[in-house]
Amino acid sequence: MRAEDLISTHPTAEAVAEALRRLPRPEPEKVDALRSRFTATLAPASSAAWPHFLEGARRKRDSRYADAPTSHRPVVGPALVMAKRAFRLAFQPFINEALRRQVEFNESILDALALIYEHQRTQARTQALWRQEVDKQLEQLAAERKKP
Amino acid sequence: MANVSLWNSKRGTASRSVGRVHQLVSHLAWGDAVGNQVRYLRDLLRGWGFDSEIYANEWDEACRDQVRPARDYPRDASSDSALLIHHSFESRLVPLVAKARGRKALLYHNVTPTRFFEGVDRHVAQGCTAAREELRALRDHVSHAWAYSHFSAEELAAAGYRDASVLPFAVDWNAFDVPPDPALRAQVEDGCANILFVGRTVPSKRLEDVLRVFTAYQRLYQPRSRLLVAGTLSNSTPYDASVIALREQLGPERVVFLGRVDASQLSACFASATAYLSMSRHEGFGVPLLEAMYRGVPVVAYGAAAVPETMGGAGLTTLSDDPVEVAGLLAVLERDAALRAQVVAAQRDRLAPLDQQTVARRVHEALTPFLEGRSPVQAKPGPDAATVVCPGFDTAPDAPMSRLARAVVDRMPGARLWTVRRGVMPLQLAPREERREGTPVWHFTPDEPTSPASSDAPASSSLETGVRCATGPVLFAGAEEVARRTAAQVQAHAWGVWEARRAPDAGVRRLLGPRLKELKPDTDVDALARDLARELDAGGRTHAR
Repeated sequence: MRAEDLISTHPTAEAVAEALRRLPRPEPEKVDALRSRFTATLAPASSAAWPHFLEGARRKRDSRYADAPTSHRPVVGPALVMAKRAFRLAFQPFINEALRRQVEFNESILDALALIYEHQRTQARTQALWRQEVDKQLEQLAAERKKP
Repeated sequence: MANVSLWNSKRGTASRSVGRVHQLVSHLAWGDAVGNQVRYLRDLLRGWGFDSEIYANEWDEACRDQVRPARDYPRDASSDSALLIHHSFESRLVPLVAKARGRKALLYHNVTPTRFFEGVDRHVAQGCTAAREELRALRDHVSHAWAYSHFSAEELAAAGYRDASVLPFAVDWNAFDVPPDPALRAQVEDGCANILFVGRTVPSKRLEDVLRVFTAYQRLYQPRSRLLVAGTLSNSTPYDASVIALREQLGPERVVFLGRVDASQLSACFASATAYLSMSRHEGFGVPLLEAMYRGVPVVAYGAAAVPETMGGAGLTTLSDDPVEVAGLLAVLERDAALRAQVVAAQRDRLAPLDQQTVARRVHEALTPFLEGRSPVQAKPGPDAATVVCPGFDTAPDAPMSRLARAVVDRMPGARLWTVRRGVMPLQLAPREERREGTPVWHFTPDEPTSPASSDAPASSSLETGVRCATGPVLFAGAEEVARRTAAQVQAHAWGVWEARRAPDAGVRRLLGPRLKELKPDTDVDALARDLARELDAGGRTHAR
């Protein structure tokens, strides 16, 4: 470590850097192996985006507002649509209150699903790293057995 | 002494003198830094003869007798009340603050940047973003503002709090004088070198880096070593699970997650520790660092956020996060007795100005103008000047993007260039105008030291807060990350310039649309700067009022 990479007034950064230089140097192979291990275990960059499979559910989580009213009936249809709109307009505050808990529940369950998904990704990654490590060790053992 | 009346002011209706000084906090916890500070201030205020209560939205069961519900405050407050608002996370208390009578002041502990929780914990990430919005909203309701470090005070200044200053952080040293738990001490004092870390397991504390440093230390320098981690850790969150998984992947021996510990167990941890290690990327003020100093444990800490300021030149603050290099520092402290003694002595000296009487006197001096109703002189806000945000300017002033940023500023009277300071300073200073060959440049403190190998400028919470609060036209000059986090707040008066190698994300493209330009290798920088200056000037007149 360079003195410029340290903040220390007493002892000075230069004195600490000098003490570091006096340390017995670790074997370069050990250091390299350790650095490769650190690189292999670096977590992938996290993303703020929601998991793709939850996007559909996310769009529907707010159940207080229905789709725009329609009707397939040719004659009474427009009247029905108007009646539906009027009903929504008049009762929307009550609908909001009645469905408030449902919306909160929907959001909570989505969060829980996202959490489980992240958890599962972490576990899968750990297992993959384990598998790679075991495969590497088995290859080493096999190579050693082949040696005369 | 100016007799400033705050009657009918948006910042609070208040009489000249106050009889009651209360505190408002979102969550009153038992044993955390904010909770301890709130209790300390309450005792101090009562000692000065004021009625003082703590109001909170939520509280730990152990604090039930110390707290009143926040919703009662507007009813309890009168014109001779004063309120100290502690802000460290989303509180949803701004409407209550606005409604309450009396004068009000802000005590800012800092908010962890959202980026640490993105993709890890959405709720907390949203809370951090909302907390910074609340910081901006509170500005209109308080007459005074303090932070607990210069690092945090810089963010207050960037958010538009005029005369924001630093309040000394009071640490109750007596609380550390607890006899160590004999059972735990006997367990861990077995000849191993014990490396200690104390703190919550949240992504900003970078427990994974602590594990990496310890693994390097154990493999390269001291096989007979142990890592003690005192702080809640469960398998129920992805971050905690990833830390536990990393321990399995790295395979160091004797890593002990102690979970939540009581005072005597914590005492035993410090009593048996060879060194204290912190790789935290964000601290508004690091109490465990001072606790380690108080208990005579040498500290090795990564110099991010307010850590260099907390360390005050004592201990070993490293600007490198390379685990092998940091492990070397732990080895030096263990093997070089003379150097270790120097470090411990310097740490003791660091604590000298933080004794309780001195801190109480300084807190009293700082709070007196507020308690006496002396309002700081409110300078008239200046014109909505254009701001060119170029984080990489300080790192590479001759790069094409930096030259473009400077050319735009030089063409616009009153415009300023905002950049992130490349170097970490032991004491951060509020951004102020500096002239670089005639161009007004404001340097903001980075949240983390810059890696020598990286050409990217590090993130700066202060700069991002400043951008969110900017009212004039804003030009993002190669500031992809800053734009991603702030473009939604300033989109009506924001422009952007990008280089092909660092394309902005889809959200920024959508928000800025045609106001997004590309800086190609063959672009005429002067011509583009002239066009941008013209657009910013016209857009600023249209949108920014």
